Formats: sequence, structure tokens, C-alpha cells
Amino acid sequence: MNATASATAANSSFYSQTQCRLSSDIRGSIPFSKMKRFLFFNDVHPRKYPLMLVPRAADPNTGKDSDVGEDEVQKQQRVMQQPPMSLSLDDVNPVGLGRRSRQLFDEVWRKFSGLGQISRTIRSDDQEALDALLVREGPMCEFAIPGAQNTTVLVVGATSRIGRIVVRKLMLRGYSVKALVRKADQEVVDLLPRSVEIVIGDVGDPTTVKAAVEGCNKIIYCATARSAITGDLFRVDHRGVYNLTKAFQDHNNKLAQSRAGKSSKSKLLIAKFKSESSLHGWDVRQGTYFQDVLATKYDGGMDAKFEFTENGDAVFSASHQLAQRVTLAPNGRFLAFQGWSKALYTYIANDQLHSNNNKAEKTPKPVEVNTTTKQDLRSFKLILEYIKALPTGQETDFVLVSCSGLGIEPSRRDQVLKAKRAGEDSLRRSGLGYTIVRPGPLQEEPGGQRALIFDQGNRISQGISCADVADICVKALHDTTARNKSFDVCYEYIAEDGRELYELVAHLPDKANNYLTPALSVLEKNT
Amino acid sequence: MKMALLKAPTPQLQWRCSVAPTTLAFPNSHSISAGRGKGREWSWRVKCSSSASAGPEIEKGTANFGPGSPVRPTSILVVGGTGTLGRQVVRRALDEGYDVRCLVRPRPAPADFLRDWGATVVNADLSKPETIPATLVGIHTVIDCATGRPEEPIKTVDWEGKVALIQCAKAMGIQKYVFYSIHNCDKHPEVPLMEIKYCTEKFLRDSGLNHIVIRLCGFMQGLIGQYAVPILEEKSVWGTDAPTRIAYMDTQDIARLTFIAIRNEKLIGKLLTFAGPRAWTTQEVITLCERLAGQDANVTTVPVSILRFTRQLTRVFEWTNDVADRLAFSEVLSSDTVFSVPMADTYNLLGVDSKDIITLEKYLQDYFSNILKKLKDLKAQSKQTDIYF
Repeated sequence: MNATASATAANSSFYSQTQCRLSSDIRGSIPFSKMKRFLFFNDVHPRKYPLMLVPRAADPNTGKDSDVGEDEVQKQQRVMQQPPMSLSLDDVNPVGLGRRSRQLFDEVWRKFSGLGQISRTIRSDDQEALDALLVREGPMCEFAIPGAQNTTVLVVGATSRIGRIVVRKLMLRGYSVKALVRKADQEVVDLLPRSVEIVIGDVGDPTTVKAAVEGCNKIIYCATARSAITGDLFRVDHRGVYNLTKAFQDHNNKLAQSRAGKSSKSKLLIAKFKSESSLHGWDVRQGTYFQDVLATKYDGGMDAKFEFTENGDAVFSASHQLAQRVTLAPNGRFLAFQGWSKALYTYIANDQLHSNNNKAEKTPKPVEVNTTTKQDLRSFKLILEYIKALPTGQETDFVLVSCSGLGIEPSRRDQVLKAKRAGEDSLRRSGLGYTIVRPGPLQEEPGGQRALIFDQGNRISQGISCADVADICVKALHDTTARNKSFDVCYEYIAEDGRELYELVAHLPDKANNYLTPALSVLEKNT
Repeated sequence: MKMALLKAPTPQLQWRCSVAPTTLAFPNSHSISAGRGKGREWSWRVKCSSSASAGPEIEKGTANFGPGSPVRPTSILVVGGTGTLGRQVVRRALDEGYDVRCLVRPRPAPADFLRDWGATVVNADLSKPETIPATLVGIHTVIDCATGRPEEPIKTVDWEGKVALIQCAKAMGIQKYVFYSIHNCDKHPEVPLMEIKYCTEKFLRDSGLNHIVIRLCGFMQGLIGQYAVPILEEKSVWGTDAPTRIAYMDTQDIARLTFIAIRNEKLIGKLLTFAGPRAWTTQEVITLCERLAGQDANVTTVPVSILRFTRQLTRVFEWTNDVADRLAFSEVLSSDTVFSVPMADTYNLLGVDSKDIITLEKYLQDYFSNILKKLKDLKAQSKQTDIYF
């Protein structure tokens, strides 16, 4: 304690000596540049360490002042001229004291001169602290997303027009990003942010895809075939999606097994129609499961059958013209159909399932039915192979950028769309939570400028900027309303002046409103 | 001399020529003439009386360029991307889907965070004009948020560097140039930085580039280091008793508005002033910080008169001129100015809702609640594990 006090005293005395040195320096015509460095010497690390006494034995160079060699020399010279300290200061290193006093002086001076300024630039030392605040944790950062820290996102097609922006957006929001690219030459590496983990591989090759999904929580797929050659389309737009969903499910299962559990993302088999006996417990009934006005008006009698054919198929047939909806009731008890024509509703129910299979009851899930429907005008046939329940979940696992078919040259459109739709289907069936975005023709312009239209029909007429598509992809990751939805999206149509037919309904996305949730909440889930 | 070089025969070589170091002798009208006043008082002035003398020559040069491959409108260059404002501009640009290139000075510790966000970083130094042209290749819009560091002479970066940059931009056919200036810079020619900003504005206007000049008042981010952190650390806070009010603005808002302005073709050549919702004095800011932090600040109030006196004193010596320049704002502070403008027109022009602009209360509240929560967490953690911080 005593020593500290005396050191402080010494500091102040040294302080005045420093002042003296200043004036003598002026007389001694030390170059101005050095003078300046002297005055503002400790930009590098100010006031970090508390007042401390450095034993004489300590090497002055062990301090963190590695980049001030020149000043060090100056300092040494000064030390030479320094008269020996009196009192108990023998064990105080004058070099340390000198440094300390300059720090004090500089600190005061800095604050003082800072007062004379209006817009301050941040000094290098504050910078560190601010970097931590603004860049890493960002308490006031509009980009930060709570769930982002622990989420690793795999971006497939990271060098594509959309993928590039997706990667940047993810980085800004604090996600860990993996990028699957075909080859990592310098051009590609320069294109991607530095801390992105680059995985080399091809979506058409299941083995490389496996390595890519390792450790990922979510996938954004923005790869697309570079040509309209059928082989390319099949490989990227169809098989690519399939390979990724499969690899991702495998990865989830592997993780689940290591925890001795079952992956929450895997499908649950409810019934498998393999033999005649598997039909036991199912019988056909009629009722009004769907809330439909028409159903109460018509009662056409029941002529539906559910039987096992000699081909080894379970066939459900009825004289309805068309199956409008196929649904597994929430408790897993029955499979319901709705059709046009006379009998508006028929269902096959499974009492056995009801009594034995509690699992299905516990977890109400949307169903996936592997079916082949055959329709003619008068009747309807459904071949059932199995019934599996898809898992529910909160968030989407897989965002797929597909296309709306607009802007592709007509001769190729069918082929492209076929591959894209096949890819979409394989994703829907995978059991992963998905969001399928089908943008209109892409435009390279900054996003967030124009209102967007979300639609589930065939009513897309406008283009959309890549940045907006990327934004939708990133927003969809944590949006519960985006799960299991496919939708088209494009710019709002802007009529020529004076010819507007509709009033503006959509509005511009900005930081205050999350446009995605309200836009998607009105859209239907696909499964 | 410069004219001669600009008329180089081949357009390919032109940019090289136009920025060779020797050519940076500006036309006289733009030169910064250093002159001695009475006694030992040393002052220099930036003169920008007439102007366009450089214009036509350069224009001739660009005409030769002819159409090459078109530059994508999404490619922008941010000068000063590591700064307080610059980083927000970069971030905003990346998020809106621009391809961002950042011009940063070569330094031992490179600006990694820019690269992490996905910007491309190119090394160049405004005070070395020969490094500039290469960075402008393939760029559509230049956003200039650079200001010299306080410890370096203002003239090098803020005037000579900017002039070189604008000339390069003109010669290479940059399609839009955004320049950040200081509010009221035309009214305070005695402050070197403001004088320079004002002259740069003029120079830019006369250069014939498509440009937008944005004048700013003050950054909220600056207050964190100046008041909020010292108060939390229970260190002394230095303030003045100046009655000047500054309408601080969040740099994120500035960046957002900037990009709205860039995309609006009607705003080319306009001068916009961005100000925060309310103007604050130093004392008010400190009081607000104290309230939010829940502890009293140890305030050292320095009368403005002392600042002015120091400035006068430092101006006496040649070698302290930089110091004097730095204190020059004391002149502004001592005049009872309000650094603010009504923003309603600007909001209308940009189509922005004033509700979306963050207020200082909200900003600091967010900051303090976050920090205090974090400190609490740290404390709880240290209790649990007996780790002593």
C-alpha cells in the first residue's frame, strides 16, 4: 500500500519531469514526428493495467510494447538522464514509471482533445471493445438472431447468384456456415466469406454429400443445373435434393442413435399393406369428417371397397370421381378421403390402430401415403402400400429454392419443371421440415425495394431480385409458419400510372416488420 | 502538367497516367495554400473558389473510354469500411444483396470482420494515389465514409486523398459517388475538417460525377466509448459546458437511409442532411447515461473557454498545429449552435417513416440493458464456478 502511494507520488513528480523534457526536446530540435509520437504514444494499450510496481530486474521489453521499439530507445535515453529516485523508489523501474506517466498524461490529453471534436472516430483501443460489442455480440445489431449462434447451416450452391447472398446474410446474422461447392479454386474462395467452412463435393454424388451434412442443423439448397440438358437437370435438381435429404436424415439418425433414441425427424410407420392380414382392422365407413357444406346435402349411399388384390396391393376403390383430399385423422385412427360426385366422404378406419398403437395417438402427425391413384371419370382407385406419419416440428430444416417456371425458354420449360418438381417431391416425402420457394425470374438488383407477392397458384408474373429470395430463405429458417410450405414469390405487379386496378395491399419489407410470417400464415401447408 | 498527362493517347493507359503521383498537383484553384499569418501563427486554408478547370479535361478523357462490359449496378466500393459508419454501411449493403468491395489501408492486423461478413477487401491508401485506380475497376457506386484518423494530419487523407479518389472515379467512369460530409460545414470555415469537407463537396459537384452528398450531425455509437463505457467502469467522464446541441443518429439508420437514397434516381446531385430525432447537449447525454446505468458519473467538466485557450496556445507553435486542428471544434462548440435539422422533408423524399428512426433514449437503453444483463450473467457464472474475474 505504501509503495503504491509513493509510486503515485513519484508518478506525479515524473510527470512534471516529462513536461520539462518536453520543453528541452523542443529546444533540442527533435523532429516533429517523433515529438508527436511521444505525445500520443500509448495509442496501443492505454489504462489496461492497474498501477503496479515493476521490479528492476524485469526486462522492460517483456511488456507488451513490441511495436514501439523506436520509442523504447528514446525512453532509454531519457532514463539515462534521469536523476536517481530518492526514498523507497530504488526498487521501482523508471522505465515502467515513465511509461506509466506517459499513459496518464496521454489519457488526460486524449480526453481533453477529444472534447474539441464533434464526430469522433473510434480509437484503436476502443475499437477492440466496440468490435466485441458491435460485431460479435451486437446488442444493438438489427441483424442478430437469437437462434443463430448454435446453428450450422449448409448452403448448397453457395456460389450461385442467390447462394452468394444467402451466405453473406447468414454470416451477418451469426450463423456458422458450411458451403458445398464443386471445386475450391481461388475464385470461389474469394467469393465466400473467409470463415465459411468450404466442403468440396457434388450433389450428384451421395458420398461427398454425406461429408457435407456432417454437423449441420439446416440446409439451404440454391444449386441449380447449369444447363437444360436432361442429365444435368436430373442430377442436380432431382437427385441432388434427394441425396441431400437422405444424407441429412441419415445424419440425424446417426446422432439419434448415439443418444440411444430415435431421430425426431424420421417418419413413423403406421401401417404397411403387405399381406391380406394387414387389412384386418380396417373397414370402410362413411361419415362427415371434413367440415363441408356439400357433405350434408348429398347422401349418395356407400359403394367404396377396400380389398387386397392378387397383385399384392391394397386397393381402395370407390365410385367417386376424384380424391380431393387424403388425410390421416389426428389420432391416427382413420384415413379419410373426400371426393366429388355423390358420396362426398368415405373413410377407412382402423380400430386396431386405435386400440394398439398409442404412438400414433400421442404424436399427431401429418401423413404420408405412398399411393398410386387411378382415376377415370366415374370411379376412383387408390393403391396403398404403406402409411407413414411425418414428424411435426417447429422450424423448417430444408429450404429449397426451386423455380416458378417463368422466364425459362418454352421449349425447355417442361423438362426443367419436371426435374424441379421431382426434387420438390422427394423433399416433401423426406420427413424433413421444408420450405420450397419458387421465385419468378431472378434479377440482379438490391433487395428490399419492392413489395413481394406470396402465392400458391399459378399467378406469378413478375421477376424478383436474388437478394429478396435470399432474404426469404434466411428468414424461413426460424419461422414456424414457413414449415412445410411451398409457395411462389415475385415482385408486386406495378401498373402504369393511371391504370391501377387494385390498391396496394402488400408493403415493403423493412427491419420493423417481419413480412414473411403474415404472408405465409395465410398459405396452406402442403402436407 | 496534369492536363498533358490526361490526354494520353490510349484510353487504356489513361487511368494510370491520371493518377501518377506527379499529377496530383491540383489546379491552382483547388490548391491548399500554406501561408503564414502574423507572427508565428501558422495557418493554411483550402481554397476552392473556382473549380471546373479540371472538369472538361477529365470529361474528354472518359469519353474515350467507350462501352466495355457493363458494370453491375450491385457492385459498390466502400471507402473507410472499418470505421464506425463504414462498417454499418458495409453490413447494410451486404444484407441488401450488393457485392461489396472495401478499400482499406494495408495494415498488420487486417480488417477480418469485413471479410467474415462476405465483403471483398482490397488494400489501398488514399494518401498514395497510385494505389487507388485498381480498386475502382468494375465498380458502379463509390461510397466514401473515410476520414483521417485523429492522429494524422487532416490534409493528407481528407483533402489530397479525396481529391485523388474523386478524380480517379471521374476518369474511370464511376456512375455514382456518395460522400459523407458534416452538417453546417459551410458555416465554420475556421475548422479545418469542416472546411475540407465543404471544399470536397464543391469539388465533387464540379467534377461532374453523379453524386449524393450526405451531411451528418453525430453518431450515437460515438457516445458509447465516450460516456457509456466510462460510466459503467466508474471512470471519470469528461464533458464540456458547451450549450451546443447535437442530433445524434444511429449509424445503422444512416446506412439504411443511404441505400434508399442511392437507389432513388431523383436524388442525384442532391445534398441531404441526416439528423437524429432530437438534439442533445453533453450534459443531457451524461444524465441519460447515469439514469440508465443506475449509477452516478464522475464528471469532469471542462469549460469551453479552456479548450479555446488551448487551441490558441497550440496554434502558436508550428509543431502543435495538428493538435490545434483537433481542438478546432471548440470554436464550433462555443458558438451556441444546434446541430440538427428538421427531417420531415428528407423522410418524405426517401419514403421513410420517422418511427423507424431510433432515438437516443432507445439506443442507450438497449445498450445498457444488454450490458447490465451480460454483467449479471458473468457475476452469476463466477459465483457458480468460483472463477474470479
